[in-house]
Amino acid sequence: MARYLARRIFYLALTLFLIASITFFLMKLMPGTPLNNQAKLTPQQIKVIYEHYGLNKPVWQQYVSYIVDAAHGNFGLSFQFSDQPVSYLISSRIGPSMQLGGQAMVVGVVVGIVVGSLSAIRKNTWIDGTSTFISILGISIPSFVLAILLQYYLGLKLQLFPIADWGGFSYTVLPTLALAASPFAETSRFVRTEMVDVLGSDYIELARAKGLSRMGIVWHHALRNSLIPLVTVIGPLTAAIMTGSMVVENIFSVPGIGEQFVKSILVNDYPTIMGVTLLYSALLCAILLLTDLVYGIIDPRIRITGKGE
Amino acid sequence: MNVRSAVKVGAVALASTFVLAACGSKNSSSSKESVNFEESAEIATMDQSKVTDVVGFTQLGNTQEGLYRLGVKSKVNNALATGTKESKDGKTWTFTIRKDAKWSNGDPVTAKDFVYAWQRTVNPKTASEYAYLFSGIKNADKIAAGKASYKTLGIKADGNYKLVVSLDRPIPYFKLLMGFPTFYPQDQKVVEKYGSKYGTSSDKLVYDGPYKQTGWTGTNLSWKLVKNNNYWDKKDVKMDTINYQVVKDASTGLNLYNSKKLDVANITGNQVAQYKNNKDYVLRKQSSMFYLQYNMKKEKVFRNAKIRKAISMAINRKQLTSKVLADGSGNPKGLVSTGLASNPKTGEDFASEAEVKSAVNQNLTEAKKLMAEGLKEEGKSSLSFTLLGDDTASTKQITEYLQSQIEKLPNVKVSLQNVPFKTRLTNSSDGKFDVVLSAWGADFSDPISFLQLFVTGNAQNNGGFSNAQYDKLIKASNTTDSTNPEKRWDDMVKAEKILMNEQGIAPVFQQAQSQLWSSKLKGVVYNSAGVNFDYKNLNLTK
Repeated sequence: MARYLARRIFYLALTLFLIASITFFLMKLMPGTPLNNQAKLTPQQIKVIYEHYGLNKPVWQQYVSYIVDAAHGNFGLSFQFSDQPVSYLISSRIGPSMQLGGQAMVVGVVVGIVVGSLSAIRKNTWIDGTSTFISILGISIPSFVLAILLQYYLGLKLQLFPIADWGGFSYTVLPTLALAASPFAETSRFVRTEMVDVLGSDYIELARAKGLSRMGIVWHHALRNSLIPLVTVIGPLTAAIMTGSMVVENIFSVPGIGEQFVKSILVNDYPTIMGVTLLYSALLCAILLLTDLVYGIIDPRIRITGKGE
Repeated sequence: MNVRSAVKVGAVALASTFVLAACGSKNSSSSKESVNFEESAEIATMDQSKVTDVVGFTQLGNTQEGLYRLGVKSKVNNALATGTKESKDGKTWTFTIRKDAKWSNGDPVTAKDFVYAWQRTVNPKTASEYAYLFSGIKNADKIAAGKASYKTLGIKADGNYKLVVSLDRPIPYFKLLMGFPTFYPQDQKVVEKYGSKYGTSSDKLVYDGPYKQTGWTGTNLSWKLVKNNNYWDKKDVKMDTINYQVVKDASTGLNLYNSKKLDVANITGNQVAQYKNNKDYVLRKQSSMFYLQYNMKKEKVFRNAKIRKAISMAINRKQLTSKVLADGSGNPKGLVSTGLASNPKTGEDFASEAEVKSAVNQNLTEAKKLMAEGLKEEGKSSLSFTLLGDDTASTKQITEYLQSQIEKLPNVKVSLQNVPFKTRLTNSSDGKFDVVLSAWGADFSDPISFLQLFVTGNAQNNGGFSNAQYDKLIKASNTTDSTNPEKRWDDMVKAEKILMNEQGIAPVFQQAQSQLWSSKLKGVVYNSAGVNFDYKNLNLTK
């Protein structure tokens, strides 16, 4: 187990290194500078600004110092916020995104499991039809449409929740709901399919034959077995949602990182692009690792000792 | 300043009407007035030497103060200056500075603070992107070129309350510059205390203006302006708190406005059509002009004026502004934006006076004729080129529209290339384009802010337009005629007419911002150039 973990962590570091390198060189291929007003600057001023951002050195030196600094959690200075370190920008913006993402995952997955299971148990009834319809809506309606509808009806018309801004818990309700649509839809579709499968299998028949109650079967056998594959879906989804959504953050004026990431691409703010890309990759890798570990725990058939076959 | 299109320029105020009613019927001494404002983007920096964007200048204009404040129609009013003396040759200015002005930390504001601030900005080490505005002040150009020390800049403190500025040549718009934040004073003690962190959050600054900023951490989306009790004219400041919230989505802003939590919102597109007749609707003309530049350096065909005229005449600008943009943006009358400056004698708007109708109106028959003639002269049977523009949704719409219009000319093919804002700027200055949709916003309310762009060799003149007569007129307006406002005005009108008759550039539209303003808000000063919104006298009618 320890060896496995060590190996995985080594690969994780290698992956991040490769991502950092590729991002770095891709960024170097793009035109663009930290200058806002290039045409009005003297060569001397441009030199000072380039030195300030370390852009005066040869590319390989920039690369080495970038990798070394990145390993220490230092991603350089943002181009768009003057003299603001990217690490500060990320750390001050990541909180709201993670909070919203976490809440949305919990809401989406829990509701998704309930709806998906009901759907499977009552296969081909009106319950199944309705829940399928709702989850297809959840997949096909873009989150910004949902966000605008929620804002308009629950925020403006019914005044149940704040329209936008960032403060206490009540400010998180609407963006959480908007974000939860996609994990909800994914989960409920997935759970339904899995559970229909499981409910048709022999051991369920056996359990039924042994006279176990219907709820008992669903709770102890069907649900647990159909949730195992769900773990693989939830992992990457969590990483994607916790790193923020530009549209939802923009619509609800949330000071999150997702919106900042997209903006940094629009204004060629390379240090921020690279910082956020690395953060996102690290999060995704960590979650994938965690998924594999959790898999072994919840599914006795898979043991990651490396023995077995 | 370079202008981008989708990120709407402009600071907006959103006023909440809850004038803490808690004190109710009791004595009114503690009733505090507050309003909630909306801003369209984050603050990038509050360091006066480094600010380059509209958001930053609006913040500085309300929290800091220089020699003058600009009133309605950019009227110059004394602020820190109590007296101004201009020498006969227009090259020496002497300002008397008020003795009761203080920084928010209690330090007095003195002439030395101006000297320090200006020297810091022109010092190439500071790398101020607005240092070019100092051109014309003694030695500024030499300092920028690295040929003189920043200490030789033509500004001196004569005692604590007298400031003497010497110029290399008279600057006709010098007074307007003195109302621009780049020329405000800075407290040396504070700048040096925070070093490179100066102005990166609201507590790493001192303020000498009507308000102090609080709660801006450097990257967050909300902050406040609170009344500055050390401000020399605090009795005229009626507002106690201005709350700011960055709102990037127009429908969110509108919902907040309609829920009465906010009293002003920026509106766009469909919303404008819906609210145009609302009593709260306000149209703010901006000094931002969008225009086409032809790469005459690279493409020989664009050196042919007939071809340039044909392209310009093919465009139906009215349809573009009323149907495609539909946000209140206006038809251009020329390069210089409407409402920017008026004739010193007659008061007529520059843009109207210098308008060349054939340069901005559609005439498809004439356009086809000119294009055919032009192509024949160039020995070509067809023309195809790429139109470069920003990759924002609104710019894509504009370039697509332009494409459809220009392709109405027979044998003309236009392909589109939409890239991020800064890439567009880089490609423009590197000459990597055929035709580019550029934009420029005036830094101060004088036509020269636009006209100097297209002098031969100017860094913004990406297409390489060059006309000896034009250059001569602009030069005269800056030199021989600079102290004669009427003659200078004539020079500029003539120059603009040359540029339009030659179609060195083709104006496309003048940007505007549509807003909803609560009628309760009074005392706001709006100017299309420089500091857009001045809230010093902002108040709520009861």
